[in-house]
Amino acid sequence: MDQRALILGFSMLAFGSAMAADPASIDWGKIPATKLTLFYPGQSSYEWLRSEGHKGASSETARGDSCVSCHDDAKEEQRQGAKILRGNHPLEPTTIAGKKNGHVDLSVQAAFDAKNAYLRYQWKTQNPFPGNEHQYLRFDGKEWKVYGFPKLDKVVQEGKQPGIYEDRMSIIIDDGKVPGFAKQGCWLTCHDGQRDMPKQFTKEEVAANALLTAIKKNDVRKYLPDTRTNPSDWKTGKSVEDIAKLKEAGAFVELIQWRAHRSHAVGMADDGYVLEWRLADAGKDMFSGNADSKTHQPKFMWDEKKVGYKSITADQLRKGDHFLIREQNAVPFDPNAGWKEGDMIPDYVTSREDAKGSAADNNAIANWKDGMWTVVVVRPLGLANSDDKALKAGGVYNVGFAVHDDNITTRGHFVSYVKTLGLGAKADIQAVKLP
Amino acid sequence: MSHPAKHRPLIALVALFGLCLSVPAFAQFDAEAAENTFKDNDCHKCHHATKAKKGPALKKIAAKYKEKKLDEKEAIKHMTAGQKVKLDDGKEEDHKIIDTKDVKVQTNVARWMLSH
Repeated sequence: MDQRALILGFSMLAFGSAMAADPASIDWGKIPATKLTLFYPGQSSYEWLRSEGHKGASSETARGDSCVSCHDDAKEEQRQGAKILRGNHPLEPTTIAGKKNGHVDLSVQAAFDAKNAYLRYQWKTQNPFPGNEHQYLRFDGKEWKVYGFPKLDKVVQEGKQPGIYEDRMSIIIDDGKVPGFAKQGCWLTCHDGQRDMPKQFTKEEVAANALLTAIKKNDVRKYLPDTRTNPSDWKTGKSVEDIAKLKEAGAFVELIQWRAHRSHAVGMADDGYVLEWRLADAGKDMFSGNADSKTHQPKFMWDEKKVGYKSITADQLRKGDHFLIREQNAVPFDPNAGWKEGDMIPDYVTSREDAKGSAADNNAIANWKDGMWTVVVVRPLGLANSDDKALKAGGVYNVGFAVHDDNITTRGHFVSYVKTLGLGAKADIQAVKLP
Repeated sequence: MSHPAKHRPLIALVALFGLCLSVPAFAQFDAEAAENTFKDNDCHKCHHATKAKKGPALKKIAAKYKEKKLDEKEAIKHMTAGQKVKLDDGKEEDHKIIDTKDVKVQTNVARWMLSH
């Protein structure tokens, strides 16, 4: 069941040819650690921040004041997170079972050499196990159906499904080209109408929307204000041509997400950006859906000859690394393999070999030990892709961090106020030049 | 008038008791509880201890109250009435109302604020 050694070996092999430094052998004890506190933001959208609900600060936020010009207390994040999760708070309408902590402490270390930037993150998980499982396809005796959902979903709230969703560590990077990001950070990207936010979109609204139809999207996700004629209304998308001009001018933010199931399995972090939507870079991600869109059956199952089983059952959850890796332990699904009710196969298949192009830029190594994730994301310097922010020695960037912990997605994360990251330059987080 | 030496400790005790009674009431407060209430109500977003933010510093408020001989009752009125306040840019805004009707809690916050 335990594939960790295999995966780690595979990851190291892959790193070997591409990197100047092996992130596992960097002496992190010599790299300064910046201690950040991330807090639970609930539904504090771009629009709420500019509303009367943001008492005494709506006009200041609208004119572009920074969050920390008011939120400057030494324990601000702890206080805000605790308040929002305390119950009966306008920013969190849902009681999330088992969610106790309104904040998480994050340690960030940074280094760079001639080829890469290395970002090392450490944080404690709420649960006594790593959140490295994701949704499954479960056979109910007749059909394969999705099993496990993020905790904010109604089916989990109602107890009809278990909460199963991967942990994540994310960073948004701005190189100074997105107006307002240096002051208000990730809150520029979070809007009413998005999934699990107030006034959530309807399918009909999305189907009737010119921009989302043009870019072939069927829901509303993060976007930057400049992509809308009215930044507070997701429905007012600018033309595809105007948005292309924004992209060409670099008016987008980088979004790198390390995913404990869908990218960790193959020693990578995904590579995306936020402009008119939360987009993946060009090429192919390291993960893809494992359900056949026509038959709803899995496309792949585990290779019994290699791992000793072709599926698992619910009693085996949280007891191993249940990664389905196309080139390592997967074979095409056999519908006649004697499936029984309760058999489960991952809903996503991962592959380093299939990851291609700009979407495959970022590597990562990670482990979970004694209740703590340690993740090192490796980002090549000087990327020239049109959907990447090129990191350079001497550069200073505005950054925001997010941790998804305990089987949750969308607003259920912990976030930071905006910080700066400098590669050998003065900043909140200073990346050290490696010898 | 002189007092026998054996009565002097008693006189000192009575004098101390009298002194306690003469100390202004706002001097007695639970600072930690007051600061928690203050920050839980996001008052610190506008009022810093020493520097001006959107609202005046607590130190400046305390000095003004002292100068005008205002007491905690006025401070409580300010935090509970939602009255208009004038900002530096000339605009007027409703002052936030503290999220408690407990007079003891309000009094504790007022005393702590005026102690700056």
